Amino acid sequence: MTRVPSLLLIEDDDAIRTALELSLSRQGHRVMTAASGEDGLKLLKEQRPDLIVLDVMLPGIDGFEVCRRIRRTDQLPIILLTARSDDIDIVVGLESGADDYVVKPVQGRVLDARIRAVLRRGERETTDSATFGNLVIDRSAMTVTKNGEDLQLTPTELRLLLELSRRPGQALSRQQLLRLVWEHDYLGDSRLVDACVQRLRAKVEDVPSSPRLIKTVRGVGYRLDSPS
Amino acid sequence: MTKEPGLFRGWAASMLRWISLRLRLVIVFALVALVSAVSVAGIAYWLNRDSVLKRAQDSSLRSFREGLKAHTDSLPLDADCAAVRKAAGQVADTEQGYQVLLLSDAMPGCTAASGREFAVPDTLRRAVDKPRADDAGAYHLYWIRITMDGDPYLVGGARVEGSDWTGYMLKSLNPERDDLNSLAWSLGIATALSLIGSALLAQAAATTVLRPVQRLGEAARALGEGKLDTRLRITGTDELADLSRTFNQTAERLEQQVEALSERDKASRRFVADMSHELRTPLTAITAVTEVLEEEQDSLDPMIAPAVRLVVSETRRLNDLVENLMEVTRFDAGTARLVADEVDVADQITACIDARAWLDAVDLDAPRGLTARLDPRRLDVILANLIGNALKHGGSPVRVTARTEDDDLVVEVADNGPGIPEDVLPHVFDRFYKADASRARSEGSGLGLSIAVENARIHGGAISAANRPEGGAVFTLRLPRYAPAPDEEER
Repeated sequence: MTRVPSLLLIEDDDAIRTALELSLSRQGHRVMTAASGEDGLKLLKEQRPDLIVLDVMLPGIDGFEVCRRIRRTDQLPIILLTARSDDIDIVVGLESGADDYVVKPVQGRVLDARIRAVLRRGERETTDSATFGNLVIDRSAMTVTKNGEDLQLTPTELRLLLELSRRPGQALSRQQLLRLVWEHDYLGDSRLVDACVQRLRAKVEDVPSSPRLIKTVRGVGYRLDSPS
Repeated sequence: MTKEPGLFRGWAASMLRWISLRLRLVIVFALVALVSAVSVAGIAYWLNRDSVLKRAQDSSLRSFREGLKAHTDSLPLDADCAAVRKAAGQVADTEQGYQVLLLSDAMPGCTAASGREFAVPDTLRRAVDKPRADDAGAYHLYWIRITMDGDPYLVGGARVEGSDWTGYMLKSLNPERDDLNSLAWSLGIATALSLIGSALLAQAAATTVLRPVQRLGEAARALGEGKLDTRLRITGTDELADLSRTFNQTAERLEQQVEALSERDKASRRFVADMSHELRTPLTAITAVTEVLEEEQDSLDPMIAPAVRLVVSETRRLNDLVENLMEVTRFDAGTARLVADEVDVADQITACIDARAWLDAVDLDAPRGLTARLDPRRLDVILANLIGNALKHGGSPVRVTARTEDDDLVVEVADNGPGIPEDVLPHVFDRFYKADASRARSEGSGLGLSIAVENARIHGGAISAANRPEGGAVFTLRLPRYAPAPDEEER
């Protein structure tokens, strides 16, 4: 039996924190909780969880800021727990580096499914490697190097790159990518894909504003090309 | 058919408008100018005419009288006709240029004319021949103005005192007539000029009055179209400025009131948004815990299990209600955004039906490969509400057809139920509208169809409800096949 992944729940509301802890524990997760962003960041350093479930509305530093601070050093998966499904919130959350989001009130089953999907993204599958220009994707070590340097990719970014690299030169629609990477069953939010592509481009492209590897295919989605 | 009366009405309206102020002003100005010009010209003409004629007449008659006196006195009593003719020539020999005719009672056959003979009017002859009672003046002179062959003449006549001679003179008044004619012409031209001037003045006056009126009209129209910050520039202190000031005050007050109203409306919307938002926090906790309870249902005391089931199902209902409320407030606040994507319509419909376990209850007729650019999440919300509603009220099977019409995607959801009563039809998309008042507590939140409509609207589409002739209700969703994708380039 493999190690049970541990997750850190950062949520300021006592009732929600207790209830979600209860629910997630029953789903078989190891759950740590923090009531504020500051506590959460401290706990992250001490306990090294595998995943963070992060409330957006926090007293003190808010969830977006927590997300940004985590991303400066760590690439672990982050799922945002947002009370507002206001579109701007989701966009800001995704831009600050979140891998996925759920809207309150969330059912425990849904959150559990998202957590498992995010964790699966880090699992290795095949043992080959692929090269796109100066980018080398090592599928056995689950690492990506650019000009010989290791790139720090989140599991979601890595999985997105892997899915694209598995079908080089072939355009994948946003809905396809949502199914493949996020495991959203049928109508995911395509902004997840767009935000993740932006972040990935910022890391792998020489000039992120004029991408040469990950191209946008108008009206369809995205495609990974070998620069010639 | 409808266009012509409309055109005519427009034409008539513009005519009326034309008649209304500008033309009225022009007419009044022109009338004033005409009356004053004509009266001034008329008086001037008559005064002139009188004095001109009098002067010409007086000088002619005076000269005639003197000539007659001078030359007839020297005439012998038994002078023959030739001598008389000579005398007439002498009388006529003046600068006045009249002709003279001398007649004698003694010699009826002799008419001594200085030039061409002329017929003396009978009235004059009678006046001259009439013996006078008083004998003060030697030669009493009579005159008359006549017209011969279209030309005006002055005819004067007098009996030579102490003889049987009568002298007549004929003077042409043509030069005077010509003078008067040219005077009349100039007066006429002056009148015409003053008429034109008055019309121009009236135009100018009308413009100065009408331009502010027009501006006022435009401002009022703008105000009516909702531009409540419309204000007029106030110039001058006249009545129109007063009117503009009144307009500005009215507009300001209107703006304030509308602002206050919309502020209140915004506050109440914010309240609903805040409230549904606040409801989420406890609901999130409850939802998480009820799931735990739900899983433990079987091991619970049979007395408690139904209570738990109720809590679970009602929590779910509450969840849906809050979710819908949030959705509605997002539309009201205008924060809803379209996240459009190219999708296969048949796939989307199938997925929607499948996710809710409606596959057995729904007949789907959608061509493969029918793609559209839309927000898949919103399409799912619309379809779930329409199909769910059809299943609830019409019962299965529900028939869903998708097709394209021009550049629109059309999805019809038809059921075989009793249909929608005519009086309910206009309200089916209203919030919290319940078709059956007795069924106050239905499974729905009462927001489903209105949310579906809002979701269609944000795509630039619409939903309509109708009853099928063969029975049952049909909801028709119509969306543009290619929703705008403003940020496609950036992605």
